[in-house]
Amino acid sequence: MPIERKIREYLHKEAETMECPPAISKRIEQSYSQYFQRKRSEINMKKRLISGLVATAILIPTAAFAAPNLIEMLTRTPMTVEQVKVDEVGKATLEKLYNAFPETKSFEIINASKVQGVQTSIILQEKGGIGKKISLHTNGITGALEHVNQENWEPKEKPLTALTDQEIRSKVDYLIDKMFGNIEEYEFAMEQMENPNQKTFMLNYTKKGSKTPFYQVFVQDNTISVSLIGGETTPLNNKVEGFFSTNGKPDYTADSFLNDEKLFSLLKISPTELKQELAKGKSVVEIAASKNVSKQQVIDVIANTQAEGQIQGENNNDVPKSNRSSEQMLKAVEPKVVQVIEHKTETPW
Amino acid sequence: MQNEYMYQLLQKMKEGDQQAFRTMYDATYQDVYRTVSFLVDHQQDREDVMNEIYMQMWTSLANYDTNRPFHFWLNGLVIRQVQRFRVKSWRRFRIFERIRAFSQEEPHWDQPSVLMDGTKQMITQAIQKLTDKQRSVIVLRFFHDYKLEEIATLLEIPLGTVKSRYHAGLQVLRKNLSNLPPERMEEINAN
Repeated sequence: MPIERKIREYLHKEAETMECPPAISKRIEQSYSQYFQRKRSEINMKKRLISGLVATAILIPTAAFAAPNLIEMLTRTPMTVEQVKVDEVGKATLEKLYNAFPETKSFEIINASKVQGVQTSIILQEKGGIGKKISLHTNGITGALEHVNQENWEPKEKPLTALTDQEIRSKVDYLIDKMFGNIEEYEFAMEQMENPNQKTFMLNYTKKGSKTPFYQVFVQDNTISVSLIGGETTPLNNKVEGFFSTNGKPDYTADSFLNDEKLFSLLKISPTELKQELAKGKSVVEIAASKNVSKQQVIDVIANTQAEGQIQGENNNDVPKSNRSSEQMLKAVEPKVVQVIEHKTETPW
Repeated sequence: MQNEYMYQLLQKMKEGDQQAFRTMYDATYQDVYRTVSFLVDHQQDREDVMNEIYMQMWTSLANYDTNRPFHFWLNGLVIRQVQRFRVKSWRRFRIFERIRAFSQEEPHWDQPSVLMDGTKQMITQAIQKLTDKQRSVIVLRFFHDYKLEEIATLLEIPLGTVKSRYHAGLQVLRKNLSNLPPERMEEINAN
């Protein structure tokens, strides 16, 4: 018998006797779920902390290298000056700035970029002068300003940190008031951070009764950086109720399907805008079509979210286990999704 | 196993779908484990390599060509991880240590050697005598029944190199098995 056959037979026979020890399977499954738990929480953290990160990057010298990487992970794409001016979010942000500080109209846009559906960033700098610089980071979906960085607005000889606390506060108050809105209602607290290398102040503006600050401001060197914290940590604000209406009354039937962040970012639309469009008598499919998004894409996004919710519910034992695979769930939910996205307001279901 | 279906599973698994991962794992782990066992001798090392393979699945997903059989891609992944494992220098250090510690011991595969009949043991030892490179080629050729061309693609080496490793490997096996006593030879033939 040729040796080749011997070897082949031997290997196959030997393989039969090999059983993968269950310990290995257990370990692999564990590392898989751990990996994804970690990854999932990272993504959530990323969204929430993105503005915070920019602030920390400026404040803590060692973090300056780490932060850009994290932001880059969300695939930031650069924008040209022209793109900013035609971009809805970009345009609105610039207008806000020009209204607040008319002198910035002469500033040059030195850098702009965006993370689709997450954030648009624009950096402007004064030509000549003392090089005043301002960076604006805007939420890509809601258009709300999330983070403002004001640099070198004070003369070099007398940087911000050389001013008295009262003077610093009035500068910060002025900036928030101009860019974000009235702050009289907020409680104020200021403290100096323990940073031996550089004098740093943290200013918190807190809504009465709330534990976390609504605006958090760091002042260091010649930079004021304001982060909007409130409103971000309460994603419920993002939700809109009663997308459709029946007989003039709000109809909540489709809310659980349409309140889907992934859907909003797919359609590049805020929940409020979506509701407005639907009120005009359009269906979700039509709105999607006007944005060059296919019906199938919409179905996929919504069905995925629903199936995930179902699986999560089952894992938490909130709902009885159906023992269906996720494919089966997707299939099951699809017809319902189709019904919702083709529905028009004021028509019977 | 349909390629398209496996691909979809992989996609889901990449997104963190536990169910998809389990389906995928159940469908493949025996085969992967056996291949790894043929290529890596020690139990603890096999475990590490197995873990690596499944953790690496999504980074390699981009390279997966749906026109190719799924198992071909999977075995490529297995081979690369086994190779990576061997390259790690700290492991080399451990291997040296082990060689010292175990030099008196018979190399063992899954079964304790007492349970193996003599012929099997001869072949086991002969295969253990192959170099790692020869062994990869022999296992892919005879366990997975790949053509030499396919092995070249999998290992990312020229066909000529595959051929020379293949023939050298067979040579070693032949040499080590030729001193089987005649009755043993018959035993093998009867199998």
